[in-house]
Amino acid sequence: MNRFPRYPAVAAVPATAILAIALVAAALTACGSVNTTYTRTTPSATAVPTNTQVNDALTQIFLRAGEVRMFPSKGGPLEVQVDVINNGFSYRGFSYRFDWVDANGSVIPSQVSVWKTSNVPSGGSTTIRAIAPSESATDFRLQVRRADE
Amino acid sequence: MTTHIARTSLAILSRSLALCTVGMLVASGCGSPAKYVETGSPQSIVSVGEVDMQDILKASSGMLESLIETGVLKTASAKPAQLVIDKVVNDTSSQFDVGELLYRMREQLVNSGQATVITTFGANAEDKTAQEQLRAQAFRQGNAVEGMPAPDFSLSGKITQVKRQAGNTQQSTYTFRLTLTNIRSGVEVWTKTVDMTKQGTKNSVGF
Repeated sequence: MNRFPRYPAVAAVPATAILAIALVAAALTACGSVNTTYTRTTPSATAVPTNTQVNDALTQIFLRAGEVRMFPSKGGPLEVQVDVINNGFSYRGFSYRFDWVDANGSVIPSQVSVWKTSNVPSGGSTTIRAIAPSESATDFRLQVRRADE
Repeated sequence: MTTHIARTSLAILSRSLALCTVGMLVASGCGSPAKYVETGSPQSIVSVGEVDMQDILKASSGMLESLIETGVLKTASAKPAQLVIDKVVNDTSSQFDVGELLYRMREQLVNSGQATVITTFGANAEDKTAQEQLRAQAFRQGNAVEGMPAPDFSLSGKITQVKRQAGNTQQSTYTFRLTLTNIRSGVEVWTKTVDMTKQGTKNSVGF
């Protein structure tokens, strides 16, 4: 008697193999993964919509930008915060750079736009942030690159 | 007999020359040729026990962001705020000029009109010639006090290092700390630390 009449491919795989695969997947996920507790279930008031151009599929699969918030800092220029989420099975390092642009869309050259590094644990998230160099900055561009490992 | 020795020596010499030539060709073929990389880019060299250029750029950026974020420079009586750069001590085992950090900060603050830097103030005046000239001019005009610059803030700081080792793995944490003091009140009005920790067994290219 076939236990999986609707799924012949699944029926061909022994139950022990399925169990083994599930255990390996669970073990991989558990290694160094973090559990996160939070109370907010809705986007924050300063969340903004974003577009991402993906050139490195692996970065997109394992590291992805969560909520992006942008608001004026205490000193006046804009502050941006980006939640970076790691869906992979291991601790991941990445480098990133914020470039600021003015109302015309021109990049504002500044000493604050430099490559920085950060790490995010498996299953966890980290928030990267940047402050605009002046009040003429109205928007930003973020480049993220996987760390060399 | 002499001819035989001469022939043998010549053969050895020619073989040695051939080996040297092949060795040089292999060596030149295996090494990576020199190239330009963007300063502070992820292609840069990462040293475990030294402060690298990207560390200085990161520290400079972090300090500037904090200064701008808090808006402390806007509280100065002068517009733009007048700064004097005091001592920033490099207390690490890595040899580098703290000017690499400070000049980048000055460039951003001065060129964007958020601050001016007075280089003729105090015992550690950066431009002694201009300071002397200013003093002489003020003395001649009879306003030795009013004619001298009166900065709002003084910037000072320290860079420290904590080293640890486990087996062959080395770890260095560099801490950049700067403090802004209101010169008129003597009160600290802003301070910021930027940490960076590097770990590994050897230097590498790229991060």
